[in-house]
Amino acid sequence: MTGATSGRLREFSRRTALGALGAGIVGATVASWPRLSGTDIPGRGDNSLSIAILGTAADAAARQRAIDAFARLHPDIPVKVQAIQAGDWKDFFTKILTMVAAGTPPDIVYVATEGAQLFADKLAHPLDEYLRRDAADMAEFFDDVHPSLVEAFMYKGSLFQLPMDWNAANMYYNTTAFQQAGLQRPADDWTHLDFRNSLVAMRKARPSDFTPYYWTNRLFGGVVPWLYANDTSFLKETRSTGGDWLWDSFYANDPSRSLRTGGYQWLEPNADDPRVFESFDYLRGLVKDGLGVRPEEGGGGSLVGLFASNRIGTTPAGGYWVQGLHEAGMKENDFDVAFFPKWRTQRHQFGTAGYAIMKTAKDKDAAWEWIKFSASREAMELIFPNPVTTPARRSMVNEALYAGKGPAHWKVFYDTLDKYPTTGPIPAPPQQAAVETALMKNVSLAVSGDERQLKQALDSMQRDLEIALRRQP
Amino acid sequence: MSTTIPRRERSKQAARPAGPAKAAASGRHSQRWLAWMFLAPTIVGMGLFTLVPIVASVVLAFFRWDIISAPTFVGFDNFAEVVQDPTVRVSFLNTIVFVVVAVAFQLGLALALAVMVQEKMPSWLRTFFRSAFFFPLILSAASVSIFMRYLFNEQFGVVNWFLSLAGIPAVPWLTTPGGSAAVVILVYVWQNFGFSFLLFIGGLASIPTETYEAASLDGATGWRKHLYVTLPLLSPTTLLASVIAIINALQVFDQPYVLTRGGPGDSTRTAVMVIFESAFQRLEFGQASAIGVILTLIIMAVTAAQFRLSKRFVFYQ
Repeated sequence: MTGATSGRLREFSRRTALGALGAGIVGATVASWPRLSGTDIPGRGDNSLSIAILGTAADAAARQRAIDAFARLHPDIPVKVQAIQAGDWKDFFTKILTMVAAGTPPDIVYVATEGAQLFADKLAHPLDEYLRRDAADMAEFFDDVHPSLVEAFMYKGSLFQLPMDWNAANMYYNTTAFQQAGLQRPADDWTHLDFRNSLVAMRKARPSDFTPYYWTNRLFGGVVPWLYANDTSFLKETRSTGGDWLWDSFYANDPSRSLRTGGYQWLEPNADDPRVFESFDYLRGLVKDGLGVRPEEGGGGSLVGLFASNRIGTTPAGGYWVQGLHEAGMKENDFDVAFFPKWRTQRHQFGTAGYAIMKTAKDKDAAWEWIKFSASREAMELIFPNPVTTPARRSMVNEALYAGKGPAHWKVFYDTLDKYPTTGPIPAPPQQAAVETALMKNVSLAVSGDERQLKQALDSMQRDLEIALRRQP
Repeated sequence: MSTTIPRRERSKQAARPAGPAKAAASGRHSQRWLAWMFLAPTIVGMGLFTLVPIVASVVLAFFRWDIISAPTFVGFDNFAEVVQDPTVRVSFLNTIVFVVVAVAFQLGLALALAVMVQEKMPSWLRTFFRSAFFFPLILSAASVSIFMRYLFNEQFGVVNWFLSLAGIPAVPWLTTPGGSAAVVILVYVWQNFGFSFLLFIGGLASIPTETYEAASLDGATGWRKHLYVTLPLLSPTTLLASVIAIINALQVFDQPYVLTRGGPGDSTRTAVMVIFESAFQRLEFGQASAIGVILTLIIMAVTAAQFRLSKRFVFYQ
């Protein structure tokens, strides 16, 4: 009897175990079906407008407020926002392209200058028809936004995005370090030589554990602002024809109207330009004399912390830095911002970002409504309550935004566009990723050795850029 | 009242009239069915996630495809372009140098530490060392590399701070070709030697103590014992550890990507980095596949060569 029971139990338990295993597998499959089939991806499997942005869960509250406001205005257009974390814009575009490859592209993507032409060339739908149709509604937006930002999103005469936020490479400086070195606030038209003298003074005042000029090896804020200031670039910059429909409709009376075109083009490398050599040689001198760092590729992750701990004298950055410095403990008078130093010109570099409608979007009209709403003052105030970036609307770059956080000369941010209307976007052709790699990989070598090594690095850059631009994006 | 008969009994009763041969055949059939059922998840998984991608990758190597447009057949063009591309050539050369140096360090360090841990010491200390040496392996390579990037920063890194205490000027670890290559190798070896260490620990435990005693009687002491007893008897483990280490090192990506992005110049760019850049940054999936095919062939050739050489250098007890 005991033996029979034990046998039955043994048999029962084995079968039960197998059954439980099977049931478990089936249950887990059923429970995770939305993940396995990808139907939990925002906007997939229903008619929601799916929007991909570069962001984290930390931005969720502001985002949700904007979504709620949009829902009140357009209850018939459900919206799902997917915040994608990435180290930089290149990583973000890689993830979007992976979604495209997987057959799950979003309807709208928040795209920065770095990817604007890639999207315009291959993935995005132009906004021209909507702007013509809703010209009366949009006039107020363009009145408030500098045309340089808009032109950055023109591609071959069509507009693909509306700028939502932007940042120029201005020069941040640590006021304590300046005071210790006996320096005054720089003049608006200070030159690259004045800048160097300031670094020398700071180095003298603090010989160790301090870097007078910290810069990173990136497309934004690296070597490019110096090239722009020296009236050159590592790519030859030309312009497309067209676009008059937009400029005549919205910027007919703008003083810089005559400068506006159908968009930027970067078709040929320019690393062999003597001015490029001159600019790199200047930076090489800063590194050699211990005034500037030898930049790491893609570095910058620790920059806010280092600056806030008073170990950096100056660094190029935009309005996006203010909130970070505030959160890192800097008081509003601990730092300030100045225009980038003048060389042959005082042309600055900027980057901007905005929504692009994907060619594959299910409902482009609905997507346009989201873009139009996002460009409104109401939406922008919801999305940018803090100075984590510079809003594209001039009227929003005001005292209230920087109150209690600094910098004292916050007007420098928008004045960069107003005072220097030739200020240009990050050079980013459709082959941006390959171009960025070709630039970045040669910068460290160019500024680290002697003149011969600099020449070799620029020759290598020219060759790499030729290959990069020959390639289709 | 009904009596429940266990299912196995019922099947036995049902099988009985058909004779023992038929029952055995039926049993074999059901066992085979059961075997396939258990194997199915692995076969389906391997097929879907390994075999199909390998075949697709080989096919893709003959096409030009940017994800967005339709693929176009280009024959061997991708292979020709890849071979002519100086960046690809440099990245393969870097990978080979990396494999030679990193694997030599990895195996040498793992073996030395495994021998050390086998020496007489309190068991708690042995447990501590075993855990400590294996620990880096379970960390995320990306997180470790980000952390190491801070440590090796030229201006503010802890490593240079320690060097400065000894009067050594700041070393540009991540911004010079030599320094960045050294850091990539160092970080990779630190993180990966734990697995080889574990293999060597197992290998050392299987060497009979009598062999060492016999060697001692023959006059072998200290390092000679290891040279003439440990190394030869550990050769099967060394073969396994080196095969695994070389295959892994040929695929190095995380450390150079996070630490240096392949720079400065192309000094730390590896083959897998070029595959990633070709595919996901330049949208040249065909070329990326071609590089992948070449790398796979190299891995296969190196592994085959190792097994061939093993016939001469590996001693089985």
